[in-house]
Amino acid sequence: MTFLHFSLLAGSALIAVPIILHLVMRRKPTLMEFPALRFIQKRRDVNQRRLQLRHLLLLLLRTGAIALLAFALARPSIKFGMAGGSQEAPVAAAMIFDASPRMEYRHENQTRLEAAQDLGLWLLAQLPGQSEIVVLDTRLGTAAAFQPDRGAAKERITRLESVANSTSLPAAVAGAVNLLKQSRLPRKEIYIFTDLSRGAWPEGQAASLQRHVAELKDCGIYVIDVGVSKPTDYGLNEVRLSGEVLSNRSTLKLTTELSCVGAPAPRVVELQMLDADRKPRKRSEQSCEAIPGELQPIDFRVGGLEPGTHQGLVRIVGQDGLAADDVRYFTVAVKPAWRVLVAAPKPAENHALFVTEALAPAVYRKRGQARYDCDICELEKLATRPLEEYAAVCLLDPTPLKPAVWKKLADYASEGHGVAVFLGRNALPVESFNKPQAQDILAGKLLRQARRPDGDLHLAPRGLQHPILAPFRGQAGAIPWEMFPVFRYWELDQTPKGTSVVLQYNDGRPAVLERSVGRGLALTMTTPISDRPNRKPWNLLPVGEAWPCMILANQMAAYLVGGSEQQFNYFAGQTAVLQLDDATARRGYMLFAPGDLSFPIPAELNRRELTITATDRVGNYRLQAGGADGVDLGFSVNYASEQTRLDRLTDQELAALFGPIQYRLARTRQQINRDISAGRVGRDLFPPMILIVALVLSLEMLVANRFYKE
Amino acid sequence: MSTAEKYLKPEVIRQIKRLDLRAQFIVKGFLQGLHASPFHGFSVEFSEHRKYTSGDDPKDIDWLVYAKTDKYYVKKFEAETNITGYLVMDLSRSMGYTYRQELTKFDYSICLAAALCYLMIHQQDPVGLLTFDQKIRHSLRPKARRSHLGDVLSLLANLKPEGETDIAHSLVQVAAMLRHASLVMIFSDLLTEFGPVMESLYRLRHDGHDVILFHVLDEAEVFFPFEGMVELEEPETQQRMSLDADGFRSSYLDEVESFRDRYRRECFQAGIDYVPLDTSMHFDRALGEYLLRRSGQG
Repeated sequence: MTFLHFSLLAGSALIAVPIILHLVMRRKPTLMEFPALRFIQKRRDVNQRRLQLRHLLLLLLRTGAIALLAFALARPSIKFGMAGGSQEAPVAAAMIFDASPRMEYRHENQTRLEAAQDLGLWLLAQLPGQSEIVVLDTRLGTAAAFQPDRGAAKERITRLESVANSTSLPAAVAGAVNLLKQSRLPRKEIYIFTDLSRGAWPEGQAASLQRHVAELKDCGIYVIDVGVSKPTDYGLNEVRLSGEVLSNRSTLKLTTELSCVGAPAPRVVELQMLDADRKPRKRSEQSCEAIPGELQPIDFRVGGLEPGTHQGLVRIVGQDGLAADDVRYFTVAVKPAWRVLVAAPKPAENHALFVTEALAPAVYRKRGQARYDCDICELEKLATRPLEEYAAVCLLDPTPLKPAVWKKLADYASEGHGVAVFLGRNALPVESFNKPQAQDILAGKLLRQARRPDGDLHLAPRGLQHPILAPFRGQAGAIPWEMFPVFRYWELDQTPKGTSVVLQYNDGRPAVLERSVGRGLALTMTTPISDRPNRKPWNLLPVGEAWPCMILANQMAAYLVGGSEQQFNYFAGQTAVLQLDDATARRGYMLFAPGDLSFPIPAELNRRELTITATDRVGNYRLQAGGADGVDLGFSVNYASEQTRLDRLTDQELAALFGPIQYRLARTRQQINRDISAGRVGRDLFPPMILIVALVLSLEMLVANRFYKE
Repeated sequence: MSTAEKYLKPEVIRQIKRLDLRAQFIVKGFLQGLHASPFHGFSVEFSEHRKYTSGDDPKDIDWLVYAKTDKYYVKKFEAETNITGYLVMDLSRSMGYTYRQELTKFDYSICLAAALCYLMIHQQDPVGLLTFDQKIRHSLRPKARRSHLGDVLSLLANLKPEGETDIAHSLVQVAAMLRHASLVMIFSDLLTEFGPVMESLYRLRHDGHDVILFHVLDEAEVFFPFEGMVELEEPETQQRMSLDADGFRSSYLDEVESFRDRYRRECFQAGIDYVPLDTSMHFDRALGEYLLRRSGQG
């Protein structure tokens, strides 16, 4: 608590006056003759006590009135976490604007960002002269500095626009705190313009927010709510694709959900594919009822896609408050069905049955929808088989091969292809597999066969980060690996540098290993997937309901042919990486970005990846080079879901976020004015104090009148 | 203005003239039969005739009138007796008090006494006067002469209430003085101990006297009209007390009422007429009401 006129507190010494009057100059009552005094005497004591109490009450009221008056005239005020000083002293102020796509929500013909800009410009004019001002937004990775003058700050606010790759407000506050710490001005203020949506205030960042703000002592925090209390919006969640690289025989499946905030309404969602001229053509549509708080599933299927890059979008027909979440873009690469060579010991068809059925089931083969074309050959014929026409080669339980064959496979892999070796009972003698030519492909020297006849060994992936294991990510605990025991496997030794373990057994030993070979890669599985159960099998992986093993085989094949690690769909701000090959390698490309923007991208011929960082606009991007018959690649950029979530924090949740940090929440200019005034000068207690003085004086007069009636 | 005119105004006389104080005592004594009435051989003097009504004593029918008119008439008589009244006046200092009324308690009592004196003399009953403070100070023998009223009033007018009083002792003296059963009319504010006073009143009753106790208080003593802080002084003892009148009023009124109640109850049991009065009441009206009530009781 502070006082504007501290010296006036000395006036409280005047309370001595009524005390002296009470003790020394007590007013004499009127003397009167009264014969019937005997009726009074009986109750005299009670009366005297009451009299003394009344005197005391009167004294207390009078001294209280004087003390309160002195207190009120000293102009007391209570402060809330701010440095002292007058209201016009300069401040170091950070104005943080939420620039996420949510702020584009339009209400009363004004977006939230425009509302924030209006308030920000008004607030800027209210800041005292000589103030140091910094204007920040939630753009990811921008460096901030104090604006050189108020005009620059105004310009900065005026030019604010929403960004696709917005960071959270607590992160922006942390940046503001770091900047304010550099200011020498004692009074510091942070203004946060927000729509109070949950996405801007992640719950997990509460501790970090509190820690950062606590670093600044006496800093006023003002949360300025520019949001709409009950927004109405219909949006689409992220689109999930059946695959980003498909074969031309596959059907593209798109899955998303229609979300709703506010009033329920029927909505139409349509799928559009871009044609050769990059014009959207409607392919399909679905109607559904958007219900608040519920997610309505939306599914589309697109078949018959020709090889090449295909782009499209899923959009809600019609308009609502927030357009940002009405459209989701996607890109898929369609390739011809991959040819896979499956080499196995005699009889090769028998050994290869499980793998070929896993990769190209007979049902799909008959319909012409199988992703892979599997050719089977005996291991002995591998030496004469031309490998270049295959996207990948699988060796099932190989017998010792000639060094020339191993070399042929290594050369094949180093040209950018994939080779998978499933070691089994035929890998004897081990010396032939430990020869240098074989070791160019294999992920280590064969040490010994590990035996686990009890059936307690099984595959047990530790992490699911590898692209091969991606399909298992959503159901990590639900895969019944223990139903498929492994009785024997090869222990490897001296694994070469760059080899990584893709999948383990439950004893921690590697089951699948990956190593790069030139521009290609080789996978080694230490137990076969071709053993029949009637011949003392090494494992029961392909037996019974063997769907985990089927998925694993498919994923390994997709990884080998390069279909699972390519990504064409990104969130705004992420770095897009496009895979190149000999056919697509050029010295320069032209990137066509959304909004009819295009700019050249230089590249090196020997690089097989192209990195694009300018992904701050949502939409479909196209990378082209070499004219009509040249390179035509693409990718899509979308908003992350949390960037467009409009559900708001409650006041209690906001209070929980700030925890012990004092902040003020304001919505109108009047509230902001009052809060800032209270924050800087403190809440003036003069009016309520004067009211209390008046009340005490009235009470005193009432009591005194009643007491000293003539 | 003569003393009689000062205390006995014509309107007062008109008010009380028609009241028969004496008869009530006669009838009361006769009916109650508590003790031998000295008045049973009273002579009668014809007053008027009135029509016989059911319930009248048939022996009162005037047969001569019946013979002449063939209608029943009864004879009405004015009683005539030798009842002696004594006006007993308190001379204490407190009787001279009034807060804001025209009359002090003493003046008020004189007015009452004058009216009663006039009434009795008018009915040819002898009236005497006794005054007392700590003992009997003055006494006038009872007489029924018309000029006696002047004597009584001139004596009262010259008295000044001052000094302390001892009501109980004085009343015992009064009882000792009176030889015959008399009507004793006491005028006092009774601001003293209850017990001894009551005992002396019993003594009077025991000696066969009829007693009317006029308890005269000042209006301020009954209603306690003071406000705010006051310091009160008892005139006889000079004892002082400061108090908040507003806060004390209800307690005081309770005390006064209980004091009067106590007298009312005890006097009723002793067969004494207790007449509580205060100086704000018109004494003629108060006396009239009392006498009417008495006749109602008779």
